[in-house]
Amino acid sequence: MVNALRKLIQNIEPKFMDGGLFQKFYPIFEATESFLFSTSKKTTSGPHIRDSVDIKRVMILVVLALIPCYIFGAINIGVQSGIALGKERTLFDNFIFGMGYIIPIILVTFIAGGFWEVLFAVIRKHDIYEGFLVTCALIPLLMPPTIPLWQVFVATSFGIVIGKEIFGGVGYNIFNPALVTRAFIYFAYPTSIAGDKVWLVAPDGYSGATALSIPAATENSNALDLLNNVNQFDFSWINMVMGYVPGSIGETNKIIILLGAIFLVYVKIASWRTMLGATLGLFFTAILTNILAPFSSNTMLSLPPHYHLVMGSFMFGVAFMATEPVTSSHTNRGKWIYGFLIGSLTVIIRSINPAYPEGIMLAILLMNAFAPLIDYFVVQKNINQRKLRYAK
Amino acid sequence: MTHIKIRKGHNIRISGAPVNEYYNVEKTKTVSIQPQDFRYVKPKLLVKVGDKVEIGSPLFFDKVQPNIKWASPGGGEIKDVILGERRSIQNIIIDLDEEENSIIHSPVKYQEISSLGKSKVTDRILEANLWPIIRQRPFNKIADPNDNPRAIFISGFNSAPLSVNLDFALRHKQSVFQAGLDVLNQLSDGGVHLTFEADTNCETLTSARNVNLHTVIGPHPSGNVGIQIHHIDPWKSHEVIWVVNAQHVLTIGDLFLKGIYDPSIVATIAGPGVKKPAHIKTRIGSNLELFLSNNLHSDDNRIISGDVLTGKETNVNGYLGYYDTTVSVIPNSDEREFLGLLKPGNENTRYSVTNAFLSQSKNTFNFTTQQSGSLRPMVPINSWEDVLPMNIYPNALYRSILAEDFEEMEGLGLLECDEEDFALCSFVCPSKIDVGSIIRQGLNLMKDDG
Repeated sequence: MVNALRKLIQNIEPKFMDGGLFQKFYPIFEATESFLFSTSKKTTSGPHIRDSVDIKRVMILVVLALIPCYIFGAINIGVQSGIALGKERTLFDNFIFGMGYIIPIILVTFIAGGFWEVLFAVIRKHDIYEGFLVTCALIPLLMPPTIPLWQVFVATSFGIVIGKEIFGGVGYNIFNPALVTRAFIYFAYPTSIAGDKVWLVAPDGYSGATALSIPAATENSNALDLLNNVNQFDFSWINMVMGYVPGSIGETNKIIILLGAIFLVYVKIASWRTMLGATLGLFFTAILTNILAPFSSNTMLSLPPHYHLVMGSFMFGVAFMATEPVTSSHTNRGKWIYGFLIGSLTVIIRSINPAYPEGIMLAILLMNAFAPLIDYFVVQKNINQRKLRYAK
Repeated sequence: MTHIKIRKGHNIRISGAPVNEYYNVEKTKTVSIQPQDFRYVKPKLLVKVGDKVEIGSPLFFDKVQPNIKWASPGGGEIKDVILGERRSIQNIIIDLDEEENSIIHSPVKYQEISSLGKSKVTDRILEANLWPIIRQRPFNKIADPNDNPRAIFISGFNSAPLSVNLDFALRHKQSVFQAGLDVLNQLSDGGVHLTFEADTNCETLTSARNVNLHTVIGPHPSGNVGIQIHHIDPWKSHEVIWVVNAQHVLTIGDLFLKGIYDPSIVATIAGPGVKKPAHIKTRIGSNLELFLSNNLHSDDNRIISGDVLTGKETNVNGYLGYYDTTVSVIPNSDEREFLGLLKPGNENTRYSVTNAFLSQSKNTFNFTTQQSGSLRPMVPINSWEDVLPMNIYPNALYRSILAEDFEEMEGLGLLECDEEDFALCSFVCPSKIDVGSIIRQGLNLMKDDG
């Protein structure tokens, strides 16, 4: 079987080489071949031996870390719609029900993302880069299950083309393309995704406020009291950790996200510095707002840090998007600052600006823009130290 | 005395490590000098095919610095001069006589060495045509005899994969080594710095006198002299530092004590492709065939003069490079695993400094020439930083070189670097970027710019 496949590929290879009929589509051939049989390339310059890790492996591992989020996301869609409809389903039924919503979103995302990646690879005559796999695996997890599929298509195209390809593709982009996709929907079709109303697969007219928008919408009150008094959903801290609350597909279960984050740190792909920095920034700023809360009518200020941590997409964003190596700070010291400011900005956007109940997306995008500046200062310090030493 | 503790880095667990024994081989029949081992040198031949040469006779000189000449590592007849593109000299091959003659200089008594003074020492090394063994930082090129170096650094520890165990190679050579150190001491007001592994028991190293002794501990590249300089007393602008290989100190010692050029050197023949990985007693520029015939597991190998990270590809009939003391052999492999990138991988199929595979044993690994991936744009997952024990931002430096931003390159410390210090960065890079050659590209730019 495998040998037959190998033979088939060898037979069609000349058609894709220079002068062949499908010469233009060599990147597609290369991607398929190297996916199936790994690359046969040998070292030519530099070290004669190399580490076994390549970008394909890196990207596949990130996708692997996201799969549990999909599984729980599907289950939770079923659970939440069950609550709305007053129906009890088994775990498996919930999973199948949720998958019915998730699979079309995944398909549309990968069709849009794959199309643009292949197009640009063919035009630019480079290999198909694997980065789009991660981008396309992230996008559905950032979407509400009720998102119209055409919006997913348009937004993914925007995210891949404007967020990545116009800068030169993977490795050169300034903003995380998955977040650009989400931001596009957020600003272009706010009714689909604004984050103040819950997204449920439920009968028309059924609605409710998200955990973050409840304290944001009420003045002169205590955030915890408000959350505990919601009857429609269980917004207790422990339930928000367990993820049985309405939200985007991938972000609700914090335990799964934490395990994914630990996995990515263990395989040395994601930076623990960014994650820890962001958590510290979130706690620091939230404690600060708690101290200020009695002097303000803004209820969000009274939300304790450990609630900030598990509400909204903070953990998902920090674990899988803030740590994206290309758009994050590149220096270790820079990663601490970059992470800290993401955590801090998240709380500030959530608390100070009631129009945006969720702050993590904007916080990461903003810090993506500032990451090169942070690196500039870190690197400049090294340069200045050296100049001093040279002057002695 | 400084004790250097290196934390960042990695000792590649490649199979076929040389044992501490000498593999007996016949005396080599041909030797060669390859002018391309010397960067920025414009060679001009002093011999032609058929000429008779003695050990130590000059073979060619540098048109840029005509007083620097290259000694023949053997006595016999010039068999061939191989020319490459644009008539560049690739290889000067010498067939050795049964009884080789040697150019003889007047020996110097050990006690008198320390009163020779810089100019006499310089002249003698130049006359013996051995100046090329003294190199300088920055640029890692042959030193300029007219310079006044801040100091001379010698690494008494090889950390590169499969390299010569200097503890073993320098054993019982104390007097010659000491003489060499005393000679070098004359060349710099700043003296000689000798660094060796903290737990060495080689007396040649530990009992060295009249030099600054330092110890180092930690994984490769801890043995690289550039890394040691960086931690002991880093390079500053407008100065030069000279470096000499530890085994070449013996060559210098012999030149003064005995008055002859002794081109012998200890090297290793090692790697996954070798049957009996061991040390060998050979000489600079030796032909490799004798060591490799009947000593390889298979026919399809890559033969490297130098270590697997920085060496040059050659062939079974090739020659040992001038500064090289390792011959590494790694098999070529065409094996392609079906859906390999989805497999968890085990310790026989995958080797990584990351934990991306289920290969957690500490066993040695049979490396092949497979690149294990295709070239990709940089995705900085911090892999370079984790293996570069220098106060340098490799990422920023890499980009400043691509941008040809001279001020930034210098500010980021390019002149303190050499490509060999970045070889591990290329080894671990998931994007398969050859960082070392970019560093060299930057150094070349800086040099052309003056």
